[in-house]
Amino acid sequence: MHTLIQRPPLFCAAALMFSNLVFAQASTNPPPPSAVAPPPAAAVAPPPIPFAPSNLTPSGVRALAANCAACHGTNGKSAAGSVVPGLAGRDPEYFVTQMANFKNGTRQATLMHQISKGYTDAEIKALADYFAAQKP
Amino acid sequence: MTTNRRNFVKSAGALAGGVLFTGVTGLSGCATTSLATGGGNRVVIVGGGCGGATAAKYIRMLDAKIEVVMIERNPTFISCPISNLVIGGSKTLADLTMSYDGLQNTWGVKVVQGEAVAVDHDKKQVRLSNGEVIAYARVVLSPGVDFMYSALPSLNNADAQGRVLHAWKAGAQTVALRKQLESMRDGGVVAIAIPEAPYRCPPGPYERACQMAAYLKQAKPKSKVLILDANMDVTSKPALFKKAWAEMYPGMVEYRPNSKLVDVDLQTMTAKLELDDVKVDVLNALPPMKAGAIADAFITANKRWCEINWLTYEAKNAPGVHLLGDALQIAPLMPKSGHMANAHGKACAAAVVALMNGEEPNPSPTLSNTCYSFVSADKVVHVASIHKYDTQAKTMRTVPGSGGVSAAASELEGQYAMTWAKNIWADSLT
Repeated sequence: MHTLIQRPPLFCAAALMFSNLVFAQASTNPPPPSAVAPPPAAAVAPPPIPFAPSNLTPSGVRALAANCAACHGTNGKSAAGSVVPGLAGRDPEYFVTQMANFKNGTRQATLMHQISKGYTDAEIKALADYFAAQKP
Repeated sequence: MTTNRRNFVKSAGALAGGVLFTGVTGLSGCATTSLATGGGNRVVIVGGGCGGATAAKYIRMLDAKIEVVMIERNPTFISCPISNLVIGGSKTLADLTMSYDGLQNTWGVKVVQGEAVAVDHDKKQVRLSNGEVIAYARVVLSPGVDFMYSALPSLNNADAQGRVLHAWKAGAQTVALRKQLESMRDGGVVAIAIPEAPYRCPPGPYERACQMAAYLKQAKPKSKVLILDANMDVTSKPALFKKAWAEMYPGMVEYRPNSKLVDVDLQTMTAKLELDDVKVDVLNALPPMKAGAIADAFITANKRWCEINWLTYEAKNAPGVHLLGDALQIAPLMPKSGHMANAHGKACAAAVVALMNGEEPNPSPTLSNTCYSFVSADKVVHVASIHKYDTQAKTMRTVPGSGGVSAAASELEGQYAMTWAKNIWADSLT
């Protein structure tokens, strides 16, 4: 079947974030109330979803990065004059720090605090390296 | 397996086909008999909307050795996202109309303007209405939706559909609906009828109600917008839309849940609901929807939608036939949106390229979605989600704790929404 790819250790943490309790424990800086998405309809914590382990091969990361393109441009090259920043050629440490800040709520956002929580820390690191290697 | 196209929704086809734009050259006449054979390294894509156009570009971007032919009935791309602003008056159809030249010139996609009428998967051929045949190694169907006018008997003819518009495929009908509002008397009632979910663009009808109200508020302030919703509640961003109606258009927007349109009295322009009738001045009826007819042979869910393998985007009942966009039987909490079709297009492209090269498709696909809705000319709200592959249920599931909606409508998100539009158009077309 599929090539086995080692499960990044942080993946489990992300999978458990459905529970607000677990999320609060995992986050040293809980987001301000205005930045918190409405809680899911189901108040009872459902069993963890058996998500496929992250695919951090070159083609897997390229596929992951393609999701950013709708707002940030193909391969991170945003349209001229865009108010959404391009990601191509960004310093990878800056990328990782900002995504962490979106996740923990220290950087205010309209939606990136919601999007960032969909990616594991290992995926974010891989995305940072991918975009750093793209020509702006 | 051969699928013969059902009677196509006549007015939709006639209107879409009748839209003429200048500056379109070199699209027709590409389908020559040379494509009838030699499909060994060729992917044929049917439909050049948000999903199909994206798949075409990304296949070529990922592997330029693969030949890509995209069949599209319209000469240009007309964006459904942002098209409600044409009804509100802050955009024109020209703002939303884009060429397929970038796909051809930058990415080497062969764009064939024509109507695909059948997929013969035994012979691996797509047949066009003009009799031409295009051979393929793999086919990608991104047909969008067709309207089920059989559910609204009085509208099941071209003349009626020219009077009671859907305007749910951006184009001539979008402009025509705007004209109906311009012609309406001050003090009139325009109703928008919403079918039961799932339908294309969950927040779209509510955004449209906002845009109708925005126009009427300044041009005909005694008028009203009546939302006749077959669903129990607003299906997307309910609190944000209700707040917009109450605060931005006080007394102008009336929302009626559980109000399924079952027919129309055209003589009196009366919306016939299950329990009562409502006479209106302008009726904008969204019929129930199904996968576009070219995908009929691959419909496996509720006689309306196509189930797929979410790792390869192949039809459950036909490996080698890939499907994406609004035609799919969606995964839980996955909207039928242009953004999602764009995401499908990229995931499908990656799978097609892997399979064409004898490689394993990505075992861990991720999809993202953001639906921006304009509650006025410049204020916007969003809903966002991230979807990953559930290995047990073999479907896409939203990542717990991720996604959500706007805290409030804002002009900042209005700026982001327009940038989103420009970048996703470019991501799909250039």
